[in-house]
Amino acid sequence: MVKTVIALHPRFAVVGHPNKGKSSIVSALALDDTVHISDVPGTTTKQRAFPLKVDGKILYELLDTPGFQRARQVLAWLEKHEVSADKRYEVVEAFINEHKDNVKFNDEIELLTPIMEGAGIIYVVDGSKPYGEEYEAEMEILRWTGQPSMALINHIDESDYSQEWKRALGQYFKMVRTFNPMQTDKAQHISILESMAQLKEEWIVPVKQSIKLFERYQEQMIDRSANSLTKLIVEALSFVEKLSFESEEVDDEDKKKVEENYKEQLRQLEVKTQKQIEKIWNHDHLQKEQTLLTFDGLDLFSEESASVFGLTRKELIITGATSGAVTGAGIDLLFAGHTLLLGGAIGALVGGTGAYFGFNELSEVKVLGQKLGKRYLQIGPMDNRNFPYILLGRAIFHAYHIATRSHALRDVEDLSMDSTFKEKWLDDDLRKSLEKYHKMFRSGDEVNVESLAEYEGLIKGVLEKLIV
Amino acid sequence: MHIKSYLNLYQLCEVDTSTKEQRRAFGLSHVLLENKPMEQLFAWLELHKSKLKKPLLSETFSTYLYGISLILVIVGLIAGLFSGLALLNYNGHAPVNVIYFMAMVIALPLITMTLALFSMIKAHQTQSVLIHLSPSYWMEKIVALLPHKVQKNLESLKINPLLANWIVIKRSQLIALFFSLGLLVALLVVVATKDIAFAWSTTLQIDATSFHSFLNTLALPWRSWFPSAVPSLELIEKSQYFRLGDHLSEEMINNASKLGEWWKFLACATLFYAIILRFLMYLLSLLGLKVAVKKSLLNLEGVSTLLRDMNEPIITTNAQERVEENKTNAEGDLQTLQKLDASYDMVQGWAMSEEQLHVLNDSMQVITPLVYDVGGTNSLEVDTEIIHKSHGEVLFYVKAWEPPTMDFIDYLEALVASVDKVIVVPVGTQEEQYHAETKFVDIWAKKLAFLNSEKVWLKL
Repeated sequence: MVKTVIALHPRFAVVGHPNKGKSSIVSALALDDTVHISDVPGTTTKQRAFPLKVDGKILYELLDTPGFQRARQVLAWLEKHEVSADKRYEVVEAFINEHKDNVKFNDEIELLTPIMEGAGIIYVVDGSKPYGEEYEAEMEILRWTGQPSMALINHIDESDYSQEWKRALGQYFKMVRTFNPMQTDKAQHISILESMAQLKEEWIVPVKQSIKLFERYQEQMIDRSANSLTKLIVEALSFVEKLSFESEEVDDEDKKKVEENYKEQLRQLEVKTQKQIEKIWNHDHLQKEQTLLTFDGLDLFSEESASVFGLTRKELIITGATSGAVTGAGIDLLFAGHTLLLGGAIGALVGGTGAYFGFNELSEVKVLGQKLGKRYLQIGPMDNRNFPYILLGRAIFHAYHIATRSHALRDVEDLSMDSTFKEKWLDDDLRKSLEKYHKMFRSGDEVNVESLAEYEGLIKGVLEKLIV
Repeated sequence: MHIKSYLNLYQLCEVDTSTKEQRRAFGLSHVLLENKPMEQLFAWLELHKSKLKKPLLSETFSTYLYGISLILVIVGLIAGLFSGLALLNYNGHAPVNVIYFMAMVIALPLITMTLALFSMIKAHQTQSVLIHLSPSYWMEKIVALLPHKVQKNLESLKINPLLANWIVIKRSQLIALFFSLGLLVALLVVVATKDIAFAWSTTLQIDATSFHSFLNTLALPWRSWFPSAVPSLELIEKSQYFRLGDHLSEEMINNASKLGEWWKFLACATLFYAIILRFLMYLLSLLGLKVAVKKSLLNLEGVSTLLRDMNEPIITTNAQERVEENKTNAEGDLQTLQKLDASYDMVQGWAMSEEQLHVLNDSMQVITPLVYDVGGTNSLEVDTEIIHKSHGEVLFYVKAWEPPTMDFIDYLEALVASVDKVIVVPVGTQEEQYHAETKFVDIWAKKLAFLNSEKVWLKL
């Protein structure tokens, strides 16, 4: 006998013909890039559960299953046992019990077992290919199970045969939805979950809870990403590289070496953060193509590069001047205007000039510790005022691509620069707000928890705007 | 909340290998501490303290800190004592100018306390000039140069700059407090053991009335309680000392016994400005240090993640177990052809209607006397009958985009047993003019190769 599992949570078996995107759908809905997706039919041979868990408690489970291989033979067996509609369920159970050790029907047993244990059916078809009569045996078998079901029309390719599919599927399923796992977004994801909730009355509450949880999960991921990005900027701007030397005079080789080490450490920080972001968004297995943080040739500080990720010289001067003016205005306020607003004017001039001259330099290499006998070269914290915008721009660009990438995709993610991206996230107000913190981080002083939280809030705002 | 907690957590964060699940489990089992980060951290610390390597870093550091502080406090006390004795040095020939002592017990404390206040405001700076000006900072640097085993253990310790600055600030206040105590002790000892004639003298054009008014203001904090500790105008007038010639004025000599009255004012000034105010500064530095410890605790590497892990529910959507990809290495031979013949003994189509098969024949320019649709909605019996009727060379159309199922393979194997040759032709959709995409043909090729049959051919 089929073991009747009384699951306390809804379960949904994703079933269908081989190679119609079942695993892609599961991968996209479960945000899991470990699902094996292949053009070769028969890649999935065992059912695999993808539970949505909160603190270990399962709210619902998605089950990836193998495709139907011998649907006509199964249906023929079922139809041999002509029974009334209310007994068909038992016939399917009998089929499973009789063939559970039969390798020939391994795939059918794997996919029918969870259904007979109470899982809802999500039948997947490819709407980019024409409807075929060979699907009818599969749909008929599913009807025999008597379980609540819905159909999902997946679009693997460009062509669209969804109308003919809808006509056919409508005869077997009370709900037919379209879902493209390769281009899924939050709204589409939630819409599918809402449809799944409608399959059975008892599932409405837990699935609605799952939707709320899913939204919270996404918020968590954005929070964690903002935290990682903040750490990257703080660490990169305040980072200091030291190199001890014993010779009397500092030679250029040593200077070059300490500068190279400094740059390499900054690159490593970026790489480390990217890995963290990929892990947060469950894209641990991502393959990507991107240009490393570069400091040479078309470098980080050239105007061309700056216009892609960082600020242009003009923007930088305005930001510097505004930031200086704000500080100066504070002095004016302190003296109740008796400074004739000179504080603001001088602040703007100093800030703007500083920004102009601070455009190209990275950080000065200093010789320290001469009097104490332990001489060393030091580079950092970062002097370049554009660097934080370039680094942050790159990090946000990467995070945005990762966060919006479907887990069903298995191609190489192209993370090449996009000159329009800066306009999407950086406006004048944000630039002014960020500059205040960049100045603080560059100083190398201890940054308090509150300031970090405020900066993190700004980054979170950007990510929410881009991702949600 | 003290430095020990900070150091223990610092050490724990370095060796902590707890998983996200363990941290969340802790958060769930300490629900009452939710939204109380400090209490959560302390409870976590208490639970995992046994993991810390002995001797605890906090103990080593505290011992070191205590040792240094003790040395500096003793040095401060002795310096204060000797400074006081030097300032109150009385040889009986000339009176002791109270201005020097006042400068030491009023002006100097006020100036240093103002600087200390500024350094408190700027304590977050890594390189704070005010901090570096502190004698305690430099005295510690000097002590640190001495060989000491403990210092080796502390080499790798990277203390938060805010906390380090507050440690220096607090210690500075303590040293200054003991320095002032030294001054007070010196004053009391000298007063008790010598008969000192105090006087006041300045090059500045200050008359006795103005000076009295100034001293009256300085004595504001205690003049209501100890009026005798406020010099009277008469005493001030009588104790004004002019260095004209090398002798004292007659009036001073006549009032020698009264000149000693100054000590009460000096003692109260020392007590209030150098000791009480300094003590308040010390209390302020203790408070600042406490706040700094709290901030530093929250700023410790890994703490924000730890708290986040404790307080955020663990939400997972992915599969818990990893599975290996099902790769089949079995390979077989498959015969292929590029061009179809003009006629075949029979044409069959998998899950295609007879009309579709005629259209396909037309499109492929193939002539055949027999056309059968198989698979699809056919019953297994119908298919078996068709196999029995099959013979010779069979052209077998399949939908390229539909991958070969085992149902198809079963049929093909049965068919192959009855005929001489089967040419499988994957076809595309009508929109594709029946031209099959290469990726689909490859899938068919792989599957058919598994059959390893000499009778099965694939049209590429």
